[in-house]
Amino acid sequence: MSNQTIQPPETLDSDTITHFYDRVRGILRKSSESSELCIDFSNVEYIDSAGVITLEKLRENAAEQGVEVIFRNISPELEKTIQTFSGKIIKSPEKQAKQHPVEYIGESVFKLWFVFRDFMLLLANISYFGVIAFFRPKLRRKGEVIRQANFIGVTAVPIIVLVNFLIGLILTLQVGLQMRPYGAEIFIAQLITFAMIAELGPLLTAIMVAGRSGSSIAAEIGAMHVSEEIDALRSMGIDPVPYLIIPKLFAILISMPLLAAVATFVGIFGGAVIGFINFQIDFNAFYNEATFALRYYEIMTAFVKSIVFATIIIVVASYYGLHVEGGPEGVGRSTTRSVVVAIFLVIVADSILGLLFYL
Amino acid sequence: MSKAIITTKRLSAGYNGNYVLEDISIEIFEHEITVILGVSGCGKTTLLKNLIGLMKPIRGYIEILGREMTNIEEDEYNKLMKNIGVLFQGGALLNSIPLSHNVAIPLEQHTDIPPHLIDRIVRLKLSLVGLGHAYDYLPSQLSGGMRKRAALARAIALDPAILFADEPTAGLDPVTASSLDNLLLSLREQLGMTLVIVTHELSSIRRVADKIIYLDKGRVLFSGKLQSAMDSDIPELQNFFTAQNIT
Repeated sequence: MSNQTIQPPETLDSDTITHFYDRVRGILRKSSESSELCIDFSNVEYIDSAGVITLEKLRENAAEQGVEVIFRNISPELEKTIQTFSGKIIKSPEKQAKQHPVEYIGESVFKLWFVFRDFMLLLANISYFGVIAFFRPKLRRKGEVIRQANFIGVTAVPIIVLVNFLIGLILTLQVGLQMRPYGAEIFIAQLITFAMIAELGPLLTAIMVAGRSGSSIAAEIGAMHVSEEIDALRSMGIDPVPYLIIPKLFAILISMPLLAAVATFVGIFGGAVIGFINFQIDFNAFYNEATFALRYYEIMTAFVKSIVFATIIIVVASYYGLHVEGGPEGVGRSTTRSVVVAIFLVIVADSILGLLFYL
Repeated sequence: MSKAIITTKRLSAGYNGNYVLEDISIEIFEHEITVILGVSGCGKTTLLKNLIGLMKPIRGYIEILGREMTNIEEDEYNKLMKNIGVLFQGGALLNSIPLSHNVAIPLEQHTDIPPHLIDRIVRLKLSLVGLGHAYDYLPSQLSGGMRKRAALARAIALDPAILFADEPTAGLDPVTASSLDNLLLSLREQLGMTLVIVTHELSSIRRVADKIIYLDKGRVLFSGKLQSAMDSDIPELQNFFTAQNIT
């Protein structure tokens, strides 16, 4: 049986314990079973909670190896500190056992079902109040429709114009280059007009609005939910759906078709510009060709799509705003989800409507 | 006699050139619990922010633990903050991570203690504030009182020499407020800390204060023992105590 003595530094705190811990562990590794390790505190002037925890841990390590640790020359002050922090740790409850894969799948399916159910309930609620609040303006916040229409519609115009002009320009250029060998450049006017009005105008607008306004709506409602403003409204007998969401619904229903119209127009204009510059199609010829593709049916398609996309964006944003979990960081998570889900559903709806109208 | 570890001389501070504090000269002594009190808007939180370096004073001098705060370099400030714990009014826990990670942050950032020892220290600190069972909880899963206790565990993670607490009992029920006060007292006892508490709740002040500093319109109106303040014939102090039915 061999005995060793070790002297800790004068101060045994969070700055010094790592070195001391490593030193003692080194000694313990070389110690034989049933030996003693003496820690001499005669030089130690201060010990903090981290120091006490380290001593506790070293005692446990030593015990596992069958080494006994003895504390010597501890002053009453140090003894008091050690007593204060020793054995105070309360164990947290054991973590739940890992889920079985079947349980996990089952739970996920149920969660998805609950999301779908709540989503449909909100859609029904919004549809109901959408009609009711139209005839009873008192139900919705005063002046909010104009304010929201300005935010969702007017302030979005510059970015919608820029993006759609560039898309129209590039699309026409690429298609025109493919048609040039056949001498069919003139048909790019019909093609870009049809593509913009029936597909790209409403779709690109919806994606832009989902990213810009949908996220903002989800974050706004989410922040209100976290700060209990929604609960405050309910406690005053005010339903948050007509009060908060319906003005946004009206605003987006007004704004989206108008934005889609602007997007379509500037997209076609972008096509006309590149047609003139690169394919020598003058504006009159482009206009005449474009009007061939401009039928009422396509205009109606674009209008229906815009309305459907607007409804999807507002319902998804409201759903994720009202279902924020976990405080401010939950608002960020919900906002991201709302944008991703809204864009996904807009594309799905676009495909379905495209098939319905043109199959 | 214990020494002053926080000193301010003719400290003036404010926002956008408007003075909230003017000519504040105070001394706070080691191991004492000093309560800064006053009515809303008197500059309590501004003083606290200046003391912990979150705001630069417009003029004046602040010394904490022997270091002047007004011209302190960032490295030196970070080192100094190892010895200072701050309990913010709302807790200011990071909501996206569990309590264990919240409490571990100062230990991970300021020390080279191995992770398994950090884990034990975190468990100890959570146990000391009565949250040993909530190791894996997210802050959003806690009540207001629990959140403040968790924030206290983080503030004392490095056994700081000074603990600043901004309205620690604000918004808590009397039982929870009392238990938090007792916790602060026992931490002072166990860790030998100096506490600076900003509050206007007199029940709390009566339980913990060794000394009070009463601020009024940005100036120190009174500094001394609570009983002397209550016996004082300064009208503002009398109004303050009378309003809370303490005579």
